[in-house]
Formats: sequence, structure tokens, C-alpha cells
Amino acid sequence: MRFVAGLLIPLTCASAALAEEAPRLRDDEWPIRSTGRLALDGGLVMGRALTLDTGMATGVGAGLTYGRRFAVGARAAWASASETSLVWSVTHDDYRLRGVAVVQQPVGRGVFGLRLGAGASIVHESRTRNQGQRAGLTGSALMGSTTALLPGGELEAVVSVHVAGPWLLAVSGGPAAVDDGGLRAGWTAQFGVGWQP
Amino acid sequence: MRRAALALLGALALEACGKLQGVGGPAPPLVSFTATLSGDPTTLLPTGVPDVHALRVALVWGAQWLTEPFCVLPADTTVAQPPGFAGPAAVIAAGCRDPFGFVPANVAASVPLDPTGPTSISLPDLPAPDLLVGDVMARVAYASLVVFDDRDDSGTLDLAFPHRTATGRFRAGGDLMNKDVPDSPDVIYGASFVTMTEPDRRVAYREGDFLPSAFYPRMGCAPPPVAFSVLGAGGFTPQAGLAAALMNELPAEDPATCTESAPGDTTVDVAARAPAEVQEVGCDEATADGSIRYRPPPTDEPDFTGRLLACAHLPTFDTGSQPSTLIQLVVTGRPTDRCKGLTHYTLRGCREDVTCDVPDWDLTQGPPAWWPCP
Repeated sequence: MRFVAGLLIPLTCASAALAEEAPRLRDDEWPIRSTGRLALDGGLVMGRALTLDTGMATGVGAGLTYGRRFAVGARAAWASASETSLVWSVTHDDYRLRGVAVVQQPVGRGVFGLRLGAGASIVHESRTRNQGQRAGLTGSALMGSTTALLPGGELEAVVSVHVAGPWLLAVSGGPAAVDDGGLRAGWTAQFGVGWQP
Repeated sequence: MRRAALALLGALALEACGKLQGVGGPAPPLVSFTATLSGDPTTLLPTGVPDVHALRVALVWGAQWLTEPFCVLPADTTVAQPPGFAGPAAVIAAGCRDPFGFVPANVAASVPLDPTGPTSISLPDLPAPDLLVGDVMARVAYASLVVFDDRDDSGTLDLAFPHRTATGRFRAGGDLMNKDVPDSPDVIYGASFVTMTEPDRRVAYREGDFLPSAFYPRMGCAPPPVAFSVLGAGGFTPQAGLAAALMNELPAEDPATCTESAPGDTTVDVAARAPAEVQEVGCDEATADGSIRYRPPPTDEPDFTGRLLACAHLPTFDTGSQPSTLIQLVVTGRPTDRCKGLTHYTLRGCREDVTCDVPDWDLTQGPPAWWPCP
């Protein structure tokens, strides 16, 4: 009997604690001060390595837009991907420069949008011959590099949530493509913070 | 400012001409060697071979191999030989390969040979770790450039094994452990590295430090350079090699005969020779540590046609002890075999240790009816 009581008392207390509703966030707490047309954001970028047959590219990106429901802007990002075959170790550094057009709709503290970007991808390729250093290769026989300028673009869904003051949490992602003599499609995503005065 | 921007744009435009290759594209060789053939193989055709079909040159990595004691110890003369037996000395002469010879482990590359000029042979890969002798801080591999007639058009040098006679040992499934692979028709006409008792030109690959060892030693010569190189040595006599081995030393080369060069700086000339003189560079070995695979005699007498036989005590390096009471029957290969090799039969023993305490077979109380040795 004492054992059963010992079990029931803590459970009852726990239920009572759950029944008490947590205090809600009032509108005057964490006030939002974003009223301007300019918005900046930046964060971590990841996505499929578009110029390699396989692999994941990771890096950083940032951009700005100007406007309200319809906005335009520019973005820049760098993402790097490395892959290895039996013969080569390859690294692609992808520098993306995009002009963007955004259609967005505020909902509560958040903003939902669709962002279309188009521009150039400057891809720097570094290739190293596997086993070459052990074999005594040097110079261009051991490693080489080249850079290519490729047209590319993305169509991303964008979700921004105002957190406090001018600061936002920004998440975006969607399909991406570059033209490397043939269309290479993949996806890209960004997770970061935004600033809208 | 404007000039700098224009320069940057110009550089970008030039760079933009590049074509991304990713992990694709051709695999450039890690190293290339140049070989020539001197002499005319058509004047050296072995019996039964009407012509030279397709000459090729192969790069063959060498194995670390140790001959078996029976082949280097003095022939046992204390066992009475049955009628028709050649005896241990004749069996050693006919069945043991050159203890200082090059033993192949792996054919890394093979290309058609230009009989009138230099031929380039390239390696796309480094020698695998099992071909490198030493630890990871100091290891080396050696190779021989072998000229051969690819008579079966396989595109590579097919290594051969000795043809041993039948065993009486059974596998777990009940089949006799007799596996015999026929010799390929490839004919070897020359090699840059045939034996340590002759002048040689060998391909070397070194990683890390170099520690002199009994792996195709070049005592007295400079260490091989790091990575790939082509080395030369004048060779030593068999007597000097055996004497050095007995003194636990490495046989010395004449330093005046030693050469070291980068792969691109030298051409390796391979002299055409009678196939009988060089065919052992294409003979692989099942065991590399000098251990002997003893076999139980089968119930029925194996086909010993064309082979030489001898009864002998088990060999021992301990000259002060009594010889083993166990007598082995030693059988050579056939004269037509491409590779030399011995078959060892004992009435009692284990496959890898004939003196094992619990034998895998013991026929001492009931040997097969054909067993000829005492």
C-alpha cells in the first residue's frame, strides 16, 4: 500500500504541473522593428555539387533585397565540394553571383517568399593525381587547376521569421541548375540570419 | 582602379576558357620507362614454336622468395636409392630453380614491343603494399622488364607454376587436393633482371628510408632514390652469395658496376636470349618463405613419367644432429615444364610442418604398395 502511494503521489503532482499553462509571449515582448524595404541575410549554404557527378557542396552565402511584396536584389555565395576517384582528387570551389527577384507575403511574424535567382557561377577546379606525390610527380604532372564561368540559377522558397528588433531567422531552399555544356540540376539550401531595419 | 578592374575581368575571361573535368578524363601514367630489345628472337625459337607471334614487354614486380633447404644444402648421400632413381644430387640439379633468380609476383603492365626501336611502358598505379618489402617507413619494390611472345594474345605475360605430382591429401569435400594449371604458350625471350648472379637493370620503387635487406640485395651500391628509378648492378657469383648467406651477410656488388638513374633518363636494353635461359622469370611460386608443402603419398602410384626421383632424409641446417628417421620421396617436374619445382612425399606429417606432433597423416605402419623409399 505504501508502495502504491509512493508511485501515485509523484504522478499526481506531475499532472498538476502540466495542467498549469505556460505563460504566453506578449506582443510587447520581443518587439519587431522591421519597417524598411531593405533586407540583408547571410548564412550557411549547402547543396548538391552541381559541377561534380556526386557529392555535397557546403559554404556560406549572403544577399540583399529591396522592396516589399515584390523585391529585387543580389546574392553571392561560395560553396566547396571535394570528390575522389581512383585516379583523381578534385575540389570545386563554386562562387555564385546572382541577381534575384522575390515575391513575398508577410504572415504574422514571418515572411513567406519565392526567390528566383540567375547569374554566373565561377567554378575553380583543383585536381591532384592520386599517388602522384609518392611516385615523385611534381608540377603540372601532379596537380592542375582550371576555372570556368558558367550560367546558373535557383528557384528557392524563402521563409523568414522576425525574432527581435531588426533580426530575422532565414531559411531557404529549392532547385538549382548550371549549364556546363549540358544542364546540370540539383538543389541548394541556406540557413542563416537576416537583418531588416 | 579602372585598370585593375579591367585586368581582373581580362584574367577572368581567360580563366573562363577552362573546361571542368571533375574526376573524369584520362589517367596520366605515374611513371614511364623506355626499353629496347637487342638481338633477334626469331633465331632463338624453342622447339615446337614456329615463329614469333606478338612481342611485348612487361613490367613484372618481384617477389620476396626464399629457396627451400633441400636445394641449397649438400645432397643427402646416406639413403640407398631404389633402382632407377636419379638420387638427390640429380634431383636438385633438375628440379631446383636458381636460388638467386628473379621471382615474379605481379605483372603490372604490358605493351607491344617495337623490335626496331625504343618502347615506352607506363605504370598507372604504384606497386601494391604486398609487393613492397619493409615497413611503412622504409620499403622498396623491384621489377624486371620482360620481353615475351604473347602467343595466346592475352595481352599480358601469363605466369606459370611448377607442375607437381598427385597428392593423397583430401579436401573437406572429399576431393583430392590436386590442382594443376597448364602452362600458357607465352615464350620469354629476355629480361632486364634475370638473376642476381648476372648483371641486371632493374626498376625500383622506394618509399621512405632504405634499409639494406636480403630482398634482391645491392650491397655496395648506393640506395635507390625515393620513388621510381632504374638501377643497375654487376651481380655476384653463386659461391659469394652462398658464403655471404652462411655468414649472415649480404653479398657485395662491385661498386663500379652500380648505376642509378631516373626513369626518363635511361633506356633499358634487354638482350634476346634463349627461352630456356630466362623462362624462370615467368615462374611464380606458391610459397615464398622457403617452407615446403609436404604431401601424403596417394594410394595409387602417381604418374612419374619423365621425372627424376630421389629418397632422402629431411634436410636440416643443424649439422651436429642425427638426420631425421623420416625419409622423403622427392620428385622433379617434367623436362617439358616451363617451371622447375619439387614434389615432396612423406609417410607422416602435416602439410606445413612435417615434424608436427599430431600428424595430419601417418602411413608409416601401412605405406602404399608403390612406396619406394625405406
